[in-house]
Amino acid sequence: MPGVASESGGGGASDSIGGALVPFLPDSQVAVVYPLRHGLKPPISRVSVSWALGNTLRVSVFRPPAVESDHDDDVGGKVLEVKLGGNGDGELSDAQWRRIAYGSVSPFALLQSRRNSALSLSKMQLSPSPYHLEWWEYVMEYSKDISSLLGHPKSSPDPVIEDPKEVLKKVEEPTCLKAAWDLMEMFYADKLSQAWLPERLVKWLADYDSLLSDTQATVHLKLLEFQGRLVTLQVVEDDSKYWEVVSSALAVGWLQIVVKMLRLHGSYQLDQLGSRETENGLVETVAVLISKMPRLCPELEAGNLGECYKAKPDFMKAWERWRAQVTKLDSSAFWVQCDHRQTREGLKNLLQILLGNASILSTVTCNWMELYISHLLYIRPFTVGLESLYSLAQKCIQLKPMTSPHKLMQLIIGILGENTELILAECSRGFGTWMTAHAMEFLTAGSNQAEVLLHEERDNLGGISVMELHRLVHAQVLSSHILTWQIAPIYLISCMKQGMGLLEILLSRQPVKHNQLLIKNLEICRLYELDSVSSNIMKIAGIYHWKHGRKGSGVFWLQQARDEVCLNRIAQQLFDTVGKSISDESFKQWEGLIELLGSESKPVGGLEFLHKYRDFKRSLNQVYDGKPTDATKQAVESLLSLMKNPSTPQRFWLPLLYDSLKLLNWQERPLLNVSQTNLLLNKLQELSMARVRPDFIEADLPPQALSSVRLALATNLGRAILEES
Amino acid sequence: MEITGLPQPPQVHRIPQFRYVDSIRWLPSISPFQKSLIVAFFDTDTSTPSLEIHSLSPSKTLSLLSCWNPPSRISSLKCTPSLIAASTFSGSLYCFSTAGKSLESVVAEPQVSVVGRDFHVGPIGGVDLMEGGSDCVSVGEDGRVNLVKLGFEGYHGKGNCRRVFDGNGLVSYTAVRWASPTEFVTGGCGFGLQWWDLRRPGSAVAQFKGNWDQGTTSGIIHSIDIHPSRKHTCLAGGSSGTVFAWDLRWQQEPIILSGVGTNENKTHSLSESDVWEVQYDSYIKSSSSSISSSRILPAMICSEDGILAVIEQGEEPLELLAEPCAINSFDIDRQNPSDVVCSLEWESIAILSRP
Amino acid sequence: MEKSVATLDKGTTCSAWNYCGQRLAAGSVDGSLCIFDACDPASSSFSRTFKIKVHEASIVKVVWVPPEHGDAVACICADGSLSLWEEVVEDSQPLEWKLCKSFESKATKVLDVQFGALQTSLKTVVAYSDGHVKVYELLDPLELKNWQLQAEFQNAIDSVSTFGRANCFSASISWNPRMGENQESSFVLGFNSDTPQLNSPKIWEFDLAHQRWLPVAELALPVDKSDQVFAVAWASNIGRPYEMVAVATHKGIAIWHLGLNPDLDGRLSVENVAMLSGFEGEVWQMEWDMSGMTLATTGTDGMVRLWQSNLNGVWHEEAAFDTSS
Repeated sequence: MPGVASESGGGGASDSIGGALVPFLPDSQVAVVYPLRHGLKPPISRVSVSWALGNTLRVSVFRPPAVESDHDDDVGGKVLEVKLGGNGDGELSDAQWRRIAYGSVSPFALLQSRRNSALSLSKMQLSPSPYHLEWWEYVMEYSKDISSLLGHPKSSPDPVIEDPKEVLKKVEEPTCLKAAWDLMEMFYADKLSQAWLPERLVKWLADYDSLLSDTQATVHLKLLEFQGRLVTLQVVEDDSKYWEVVSSALAVGWLQIVVKMLRLHGSYQLDQLGSRETENGLVETVAVLISKMPRLCPELEAGNLGECYKAKPDFMKAWERWRAQVTKLDSSAFWVQCDHRQTREGLKNLLQILLGNASILSTVTCNWMELYISHLLYIRPFTVGLESLYSLAQKCIQLKPMTSPHKLMQLIIGILGENTELILAECSRGFGTWMTAHAMEFLTAGSNQAEVLLHEERDNLGGISVMELHRLVHAQVLSSHILTWQIAPIYLISCMKQGMGLLEILLSRQPVKHNQLLIKNLEICRLYELDSVSSNIMKIAGIYHWKHGRKGSGVFWLQQARDEVCLNRIAQQLFDTVGKSISDESFKQWEGLIELLGSESKPVGGLEFLHKYRDFKRSLNQVYDGKPTDATKQAVESLLSLMKNPSTPQRFWLPLLYDSLKLLNWQERPLLNVSQTNLLLNKLQELSMARVRPDFIEADLPPQALSSVRLALATNLGRAILEES
Repeated sequence: MEITGLPQPPQVHRIPQFRYVDSIRWLPSISPFQKSLIVAFFDTDTSTPSLEIHSLSPSKTLSLLSCWNPPSRISSLKCTPSLIAASTFSGSLYCFSTAGKSLESVVAEPQVSVVGRDFHVGPIGGVDLMEGGSDCVSVGEDGRVNLVKLGFEGYHGKGNCRRVFDGNGLVSYTAVRWASPTEFVTGGCGFGLQWWDLRRPGSAVAQFKGNWDQGTTSGIIHSIDIHPSRKHTCLAGGSSGTVFAWDLRWQQEPIILSGVGTNENKTHSLSESDVWEVQYDSYIKSSSSSISSSRILPAMICSEDGILAVIEQGEEPLELLAEPCAINSFDIDRQNPSDVVCSLEWESIAILSRP
Repeated sequence: MEKSVATLDKGTTCSAWNYCGQRLAAGSVDGSLCIFDACDPASSSFSRTFKIKVHEASIVKVVWVPPEHGDAVACICADGSLSLWEEVVEDSQPLEWKLCKSFESKATKVLDVQFGALQTSLKTVVAYSDGHVKVYELLDPLELKNWQLQAEFQNAIDSVSTFGRANCFSASISWNPRMGENQESSFVLGFNSDTPQLNSPKIWEFDLAHQRWLPVAELALPVDKSDQVFAVAWASNIGRPYEMVAVATHKGIAIWHLGLNPDLDGRLSVENVAMLSGFEGEVWQMEWDMSGMTLATTGTDGMVRLWQSNLNGVWHEEAAFDTSS
């Protein structure tokens, strides 16, 4: 199935196997072969596999049983655990992924419940759209909640004393996951930002350009290199690299950095001011122009340069004005007076960038994404709509083709091209099943077409939708880990068709050995009203404890499971033990178990017998010859109630009566009246008839037991008749 | 002055651990400026359990002071001002003395280790240390009740272990708590509680059988607490959100504080899932002015469905925390009862400071 | 990515994990059975906790009994014997593994055994080297000693003719893993034998009304019916409108869809949806994951292969692990 264990290019088995889903993949594609490092000496005689929970595969590797020459080696094989797929390409550790998984439960559950209530509302009102107009606001809230789990880039406060030579600020290491999430949010959830998407993209690149350095040349990398050199440079403006870096930073719109770097120019130094007045004036004018660049956005973050315009007409007007100023400066007479060649050319170059000189932009940017951003800034600042954004991107890709792909850039192409399949494939391959399962909320909020694509039930998938498939796959990844399986149900219940089926299997495959884990498992059954699953789990636990010497726990769980069949069988086994060995001392131990059986109203199967038997034994032990006491009366009553009770097994009748001989043979007077004695005699009669049947089990008693009981009963009957008459 | 009845919510700090927290306790400290915690962790990535002492800074960050790797996961953890006792899932018990030691060296190595089939078979359900004494009682699923007399200062070894009772698996115990230097209470399946007196050996001196519910549900006791000023009353929490008090003087009638209870008494049900721990909460002053000795003191509970709350007889429960995941254990700082620490299912610790 | 969880003793020939993946049973060439456990809940490091000698001959296969009946394993030995061993604690004795049943067979060897946990009772299917299949039923849910022979038949659609002198080399059985109250019990069985009629995998279903087992489907194309079957595996069904069974023969791995409802003759509709080939050698074992989305296979080439279907329903090999390197 798509996404579980597929893989994206290269690497040994040390790379986690990304859950790649490239739908409509040609069948000829060859599966990747990973070496499985077991550390055993060859040869290997056999391999066997077993699935543990979720995507965990256990592989047993055996060596041939009899290989000469390896007396030193006692190892006959290894069992390896292979976790398949799930967590992207290893950018985050397992523990970090678990933290994200825990944190996304509440936002996901909240959004699902909102969707359900929106759906039921729309059914009631027969409205054409299932969602409120404000649906995207819910998605936005969800997105923000999840985004906060993924880190807070660029939020570090400025240091009090700024290092003038620190051009790039060190901030929390950004992650591709966060970058991808921001991208999705920007395009699908944040409807307010649709008008200033280009500006958002500029900011996005500023935040995450460093990530692209993994596979691409980037301006960020250039800046980083130059920063290293900066400390040793005496006269920056003589260095061609300086001007190159400034132009590159300007091209991608990092105005603050550009202005800061321009002010490192030697002409600002106090001792130089006099001799390089014009030069300094030109540098400063360019810096001012740059910092006055009009931006189409609601507000600029603190420290960001430029002048911000919210309305497009205002922005266009301001833009024209500003461009006119740039053009004017470009053709100014002051340039002739600037003696410093590098400064003159460098500044002129910056002006060309501001004026949107395509060939210069192409030279100073490092990859298509940067080129794209520079085009959006300086050549087509009024671009709106995905279509034109996409065609511009395609143009830039043609100008600067990718040598090796980057997952974020692939994702952008998918988003701009409105290619839902490609987006899902990139999410799953590059960022794992968590991303796919959670990013689908964006896609459905973004477009109806995507919604149809994701919700359509497909025969090829066994009747489920792509949406459900990805949630199932994510739930399966969660199930693979002992600490995250408990949150898989949240995703499974959002799967209408196959979620419950998988949930039942997941719950049934949890270990029952430890009470705490067992109880957590049963709690989930309770939440989702899976009573039959829960009974079965309790039965497994009951049998486990019963067979492992913990009879009390065993009976408790079987009672909880209301398993009459097993309890009845257990009752029989207990009679044997009880009948055989109950002494006063050992009875104290039984006390606890019998207490556990509780009152008769509970489903205890035949075990209620044990209760009565305990009472009987207890009073019998207090009976001494001589005058009948309360205990004697009690003992007789218990005996009769035991003999009358249908749940008292037949094979126990004789031992009971045999135990009661001293009651039946009471010296002083008969303890049982005529009808009571008759009842017992009838039982004895029934017993002798039953003995003929093949399934009769003979009690373990002395051979004369039956006759002595019969004699005692007969004597008692005679005496009772005499007494009563 | 507050006019509204709503108390200020506590300040909550959640500290992710990236490891499962099996149990957590405050360590009584000598200095009021240094707060420290003892935590039993389990690292699932490496399958290693550890017992660690961390100091807690005023800004709520933890720093490791000392660490020991037990051979198995910790199933129960208790502390007194001078001792720490930790039991494991494999049936062994380890004790550490804290008296006269720096926190950096406390759990370097256990002073008393009790291991082996003669002690417990299978997981130890609960341990408890006698307040001010040196006796440790342990109970297990195997139905055994053991008493370990911990040695004197500087002693290392197996301790002096004696079997109080062997239920031979016919009963299983899951919780235990001292009531006095000679008495303790155990709890187990079927909401059963047993009162033991070491002066009357052989069997429990009183039994509470949890059949008040007349066939609806039954459950397991997970935690027991006994207040030093009310030694005749035992507070117990367990399955189905059940919290009740059992007074030795009125043995047949439990006082249900929460959960599925009797039909007569309307009780506040906080949660329908398992209550993992109960402790009397000395921070909350009982709201009723007449302090009757039959009235149950306020108690704190935590539950599988993520609730940390204070309950009081006849009052609305006061919810301190509602987490999306289970709260598996908590501890109230005895020196400063406004502070509470809990272990959350999702590999984190929460620290609450009540105003 | 891969992590070693247990080290097997020298001479180990086979292994099996229990239902929750928390215990490992391993059989060895000297006839001993080893059990591996983790010392802590949630730990993924397993070490040997028991070792018992179950037979003189080498153990060739171990199979766990469903957990509803305790912790027990069935051992098939090289001499064709089958015995059932259970872990119990009796009267405060230490834990031990006890023999609870030896299935006697004089001239024939046991080739495979599988247990089906059903709501009513535990059933076990045993396949023998003479092409016979026996179904036993457990009489007492608490005792693994008492088994009753419920049925005996040959793996042929035509139940009238019997094939004497059949010589079978291996067999593969897989129960329908569906749990559910009203589910008829069914399993699939295929042979690797010299008798063509016995080979092809047949779906056997218990006919409650007449208390007998009936073949309700045959999983082979007309031209392939006599192909020797190396392995069969029935996928768990979490809600698909069809069942899925994988069958391995020398031609490769076939994936079959099986209708849920029988036609008027009581037959189930079958459809061969994929034929996976392109690898060398014989398939040893096939296992479906818990959702029935991924099939893992092993074979004589020493590779573990994972098979999945894509969004278009096209089955393909997703990944492979090479153990020979």
